[in-house]
Amino acid sequence: MSHLSVNHLLGIKNITKRDIELILSTAGNFKEVINRPIKKVPSLRDITVANLFFENSTRTRLSFELAQKRLSADVINFSASNSSVKKGETLVDTVNNILAMKVDMVVMRHSSPGAAVFLSKRVKAKIVNAGDGAHEHPTQALLDAFSMQEKLGDLKGRKVVIVGDILHSRVALSNIFCLQKLGAKVKVCGPLTLIPKYITSLGVEVEPDLRKALEWCDVANMLRIQLERQDIKYFPSLREYSMLYGLDKTLLDSLSKKIIIMHPGPINRGVEITSDVADSSQSIILDQVENGVAVRMAVMFLLAGRQ
Amino acid sequence: MSIIIRQARIIDPNGPHHLKTMDIFIEGGKITEIKKNCTAKAGKTIEADNLCVSAGWIDLQAVFCDPGHEHKETIESGIKAAAAGGFTGVCVHSANAPTLSSKAQIEYVKNKADGKVVNVYPLGTITQKQEGKDLAELYDMKQAGAIAFSDYKHSINTAGLLLRALQYSKNVDTFIMTHCNEESLSHGGQMNEGETAIKLGLKGIPAVAEEISLAQQLAVLEYAGGKLHVSAISTKGSTELIRKAKAAGLNVTAGVTALHLFKTDSELEEFDSNYKVLPPLRTKKDVDALRKAVENGTIDVIVSDHQPQDVESKELEFDLADEGAIQLQTAFSCALAGLKDEQIDALITALTQGPRRVLGLEPVSVEEGQNAELTLFSVKDSFTLTEKNNKSLSKNSPFFNTALPGKVIGIINGGKSYFNS
Repeated sequence: MSHLSVNHLLGIKNITKRDIELILSTAGNFKEVINRPIKKVPSLRDITVANLFFENSTRTRLSFELAQKRLSADVINFSASNSSVKKGETLVDTVNNILAMKVDMVVMRHSSPGAAVFLSKRVKAKIVNAGDGAHEHPTQALLDAFSMQEKLGDLKGRKVVIVGDILHSRVALSNIFCLQKLGAKVKVCGPLTLIPKYITSLGVEVEPDLRKALEWCDVANMLRIQLERQDIKYFPSLREYSMLYGLDKTLLDSLSKKIIIMHPGPINRGVEITSDVADSSQSIILDQVENGVAVRMAVMFLLAGRQ
Repeated sequence: MSIIIRQARIIDPNGPHHLKTMDIFIEGGKITEIKKNCTAKAGKTIEADNLCVSAGWIDLQAVFCDPGHEHKETIESGIKAAAAGGFTGVCVHSANAPTLSSKAQIEYVKNKADGKVVNVYPLGTITQKQEGKDLAELYDMKQAGAIAFSDYKHSINTAGLLLRALQYSKNVDTFIMTHCNEESLSHGGQMNEGETAIKLGLKGIPAVAEEISLAQQLAVLEYAGGKLHVSAISTKGSTELIRKAKAAGLNVTAGVTALHLFKTDSELEEFDSNYKVLPPLRTKKDVDALRKAVENGTIDVIVSDHQPQDVESKELEFDLADEGAIQLQTAFSCALAGLKDEQIDALITALTQGPRRVLGLEPVSVEEGQNAELTLFSVKDSFTLTEKNNKSLSKNSPFFNTALPGKVIGIINGGKSYFNS
C-alpha cells in the first residue's frame, strides 16, 4: 500500500494524479467491503474523527459519518451555523476546543473559501475538506470520477460538461481539477451571469447552449442551483432557468447518443433536471451516493496512514 | 545639534548635487555646507556603506487608527513606524470611528503630533463620518490644519456628491483625494478577479470596477473643475485613464502603493490575509503598467497604504478578514523591489517632489541653505522586518522575517532626527 503525497485533503488542486488514482483504487476495495454482509472493518479503530459542519449539510455529513463508522472510527459531530463566528468564537478557537478532546482527524465544511487551508496551518490534526465556500469539495469530485470510471473505464479523452451555477460551485472547481488530471476534457454550460469571466484560464471551454453541450459530451453533471448562495439575482426566474438549462426527457431522448447524467444532490426536481431524467437508466445519481461512502472511506483511511 | 553626513550619494533629481557623493553638514536644522570633504566638526557623524541621501519622503496614505482604535496604532507609534520607514511626513486618513470629520478631531491629531520628528498631515473627511451623504465642514477643518480631504477607501460614486465636493473644495482652496471602486461590480469581492480568484473560489473585484469609477470621477472633474488626487490606482486601464486625463489638461494626480509595484494576486494562493488589501493586488500586466507609469510620471506618488489591523481582525478565514497591511517600514523596500535600478530617480521623485507637488508644499532639495528635511538610505543593503524592529503596534505584514532589498538608515527633519539602529 502506498501513501498520499499530502497530509490533508484540502482540495484536488494540490494533489497529484497518482494521489487521485490511489484514492480511487482504494475506494474500489472499500466498495467491495461495504457490499459484504458484514460491512465494517477495523481500519480506523481508536482514531477519533470530528465532523465539523459550519454550514448545513445532510448527505455529505451522513456519507462521511457512515464511512467513519464502517472503518470503526470514533465519531463526534459538531454542527453550528456560521453565526457562531459572529458571536465571537473564532474558527480556530472552536476547533482547538474540539481538538483538546484528542481528536485525530477533522472533516470540515465551512462557508469561507480557504477555511480548510487556514485550519490545516493552525491545528494538529488531519484535515479533510468537506466543502469550503465556492473553493473546493474534493471528495465530491473524487466520487464523481469514481462513478464515471465505473461506467466508462479510463477517463482519458472523455468529455464532461458541467451545467449550471459555476460561479458559486465548489463542485465545479474540484471536478474540473480532478477530471483534467485524469485526462478528461471539460466544458461548462450555463447562464453567463453564473460563469466566471476567467474560467477559460483553467483550460475549460464555455458552451452557453445546453443542447450543443449535451451533444458534445459523454457525461453531463447537472449542478444544483444554489439560491442560498446568490445574494443578488443572476437570472430572472427558476422557470426561465429551467427553460434554458433544465434537462427533460424529451431533450435527453433527442440526443444522438446516450449520455450519462450526474447530479451532486440535493436535486431541485423540475429545475436542473426533471424527475423522469433523474430516475432514468442514464442517471447514475444514486451510484454517486453509494460511491461517496467508499471514496470517503478511502480518503480517511489513506490520510490516517494505517496499513 | 550639528550633524555631518559623510560620503553620501545624493539622489535629488532636480537639485544641483544629483548623483554626487558629498559630505553634508547640518546645523540649526539647516544644510550649511555640502562639500567633497567637509572638515568641520559636528556633534554627530553619520557614516555608512552605500549611504544615499534624498529630500525627506512623504507618504500620502497611511492610517494611525487614533483616535478610536489605539490598540492597533497610535499617533505616537505611527510616527515611529514612519520615521523608521524613512518618512519625514505622513498624511493620515480616517479608517475607523471617530472619523476626522470635525475641527476638534483635526486639532487632536495636530496636537498629538506636534513637535515630533515626522510631520503629520491630517486629512479631513469629505463627507460627514465618511457616510457618503453630506459634505463635512471642509473650511472649518482646513482652518484647523487639514491638509486635504479624503473618505479613505469609501469610493464616492454619487456623481452629484463628487461634483459638490470638487466645487466646494475649490471654494476653500483645497482638494480631495479619492478611492475608486464601483460597488455594484466589486460586490462581495475579496481579491482581484482573474485566474487566481477562480482557483481559490474567491469572489473577484474586476479591474473594470476601479476603472469605471475612475472614469466617472474624471468626467465629473472635467465638468466641475477643482483638483483631484486618486489615492491609489491598481490597473493598467487606470494608468491609461490618468495619462489621458493629464494630457487633456485635467488637474488630476495619482498614487500607487509600493506593494502594488512589487506583488501580484498570485501571492494569495495560500490565503494569506496579510495580502488582502484594497485596491486588491492585480496581475503581472497591471504591475508592469504601474511601474511604467511611475517611471514616466503618469503616477505622481508612491504611498505606503499603511493600515494596521489587530490579530482578531486578520487571523480569520480569508473572506472574514479585514483588509490592510502595515507597510510604513517596508514601503521603500517594496518599491525598490518592484522597480529597476534605472528607475531609482523616478522612485525617489515619487516619494519626495511628487507628494509635495500634490500637497502644494514647497519643494525641498539637498542644497546649501535649505531646511534639512532628508531621508538617508541604502539601495544595496537589505532590510528584514522582525518582531523586534517593528515599530507599529500591529503585526499585519506579509513580510516578517523576509529579507527585502534596500534599507532606511534614518531621517533628519529640521532640528530633529531619527536613526535606525
